[in-house]
Amino acid sequence: MSESSFEAITGLLAARQETIVREWSEEVLRAWVPRYAGLVSEPVLRLQMSEFVAEIQKILTNHEGGELPAIPAESPLGAHIQELSASRAKLGFKTADTVRYVLGLKAVLIQHLMADAGDSAITASILAVNALLDQLGMLVTEAFIDTREKLIRQQSQSIQELSTPVVRLWDQVLLLPLIGVIDTQRARQFTESLLVAITRHEARVTVIDVTGVPVFDTSVARHIMKTIDAAKLLGSRIILTGISPEGALTMTKLNISFSGILCRTSLRAGIAEALQMIGQRIVSGVGT
Amino acid sequence: MTSIQLDLVDDDAIRFQHNLVQAVAEIDALGVAIDITALEVVDSFMARVLNDTASMVRLMGAEVVISGVQPHVAMTLVEMGRDLIGADCTFNLEQALARLNERISARGDAMAAQGAGNANYYLG
Amino acid sequence: MPTITWDEIQAVQETADIMRARTAAKRHAAALGFGLADQTRLATAVSELTRNVLLYAKEGSCAIAHSTTDGFTGITIRVEDKGPGIGDLNSAMQDGYSTSGGMGIGLPGSRRLMDHFDITSSPEGTCITFGIKKRNG
Repeated sequence: MSESSFEAITGLLAARQETIVREWSEEVLRAWVPRYAGLVSEPVLRLQMSEFVAEIQKILTNHEGGELPAIPAESPLGAHIQELSASRAKLGFKTADTVRYVLGLKAVLIQHLMADAGDSAITASILAVNALLDQLGMLVTEAFIDTREKLIRQQSQSIQELSTPVVRLWDQVLLLPLIGVIDTQRARQFTESLLVAITRHEARVTVIDVTGVPVFDTSVARHIMKTIDAAKLLGSRIILTGISPEGALTMTKLNISFSGILCRTSLRAGIAEALQMIGQRIVSGVGT
Repeated sequence: MTSIQLDLVDDDAIRFQHNLVQAVAEIDALGVAIDITALEVVDSFMARVLNDTASMVRLMGAEVVISGVQPHVAMTLVEMGRDLIGADCTFNLEQALARLNERISARGDAMAAQGAGNANYYLG
Repeated sequence: MPTITWDEIQAVQETADIMRARTAAKRHAAALGFGLADQTRLATAVSELTRNVLLYAKEGSCAIAHSTTDGFTGITIRVEDKGPGIGDLNSAMQDGYSTSGGMGIGLPGSRRLMDHFDITSSPEGTCITFGIKKRNG
């Protein structure tokens, strides 16, 4: 293959860049606007597309020899694509719709190239094959990603369940060891399971241990306060253990009133306190 | 001592409040247990009626304990705002009565009302 | 693409309607597979907001819809009235603000309970759309 083999496409890109970007953006927007209205801005999209086309042109013009170079992820084009997928994913785009961005350009370019070549019978067939296989390819990707996402969801769910066990320590005494990052969803979930457990066991005391909470920020503190308040409404007391110095600082800054909240340095001390509340005591077996 | 079992109420809540404080006055009640096990939804209006009732009863010189707050009701209440319900809470009516007895026996006027006995009041 | 299907609409004219509306909301939430905690917070918000209708506008309506978006099931409620509207919406969304002598917690509290909450108000009336959603499966 000689270098001139890409002349048709580089020529096309140079001569009709604006038309191509316009047709491409129309194609993409037709699919996106009904689903993601308000999330796409046409001028921004066109700007991105112009840059994209320019990069492709550079690659096709500057390559060495007759072979196309691989596109490394660090290259400008690779980075552009990655940034694009990441931002679309965060906006909640479906995989197929994100992929359509790239495939849309392909369809437009092939159409132009075929028109230039002039054989309309073959053009129609190639376009049909192209469109069909693109769709199938998208379906394959989507199914694959869906399955993987489902797996991830299941895993995070089981992690969530595992990480907030309500332990029955003694008659009327529960233990809730909190481990890991606490967000609103998790806070809601452990509060619910704790409250249900408190009601079921008629627990008079619950020890909440936060030793395993890495970041004890204001939002975590607020969630735990809510849990304590809710438990109080049921008629149960909470002993909070394992608050780090940083955690204590946060609570103080939040201006949280500690009246009614019992804190103990360690889980050990908390359990001893809880048992004392219900009139139990741990004694050494020696001498009894 | 007056114990109240109240079912789902709304407009009735105000009537309940009125009737309750009347009853407290009539029998010189020393303690009131309000059981809300039957309430599946407690919004800020209902919370206020309960709170006001508790305050009124306290002003009239009696002790108040609320019992039977459902776990999901408790969650919703604290999500709405802290301290929507300020009264002392217990799991069930039985514990509420025990708590009341405890508190009443610690009071100076407990002997004076010894003869009053129990009265049950049901709304519905 | 979210599809919203309106399932039920009812008038809010007397205090018994508050109970009817919240019971209906709870029933729909249960039918869609929401847990008791979600049912309760939805019913509580419906209770707050329909009471506001009676308090400030005398009458209005409460509509219940379910929606499905990719991977999510949601229940959406729209409480509407043709009352005088809320003069100072920003203040009304703050805790402790009340023009009726209440606790001033109905609007901000309901917003905290919900996963989404939209309110528009003008002298021609007030419309609040709110709801909860959960991941499928």
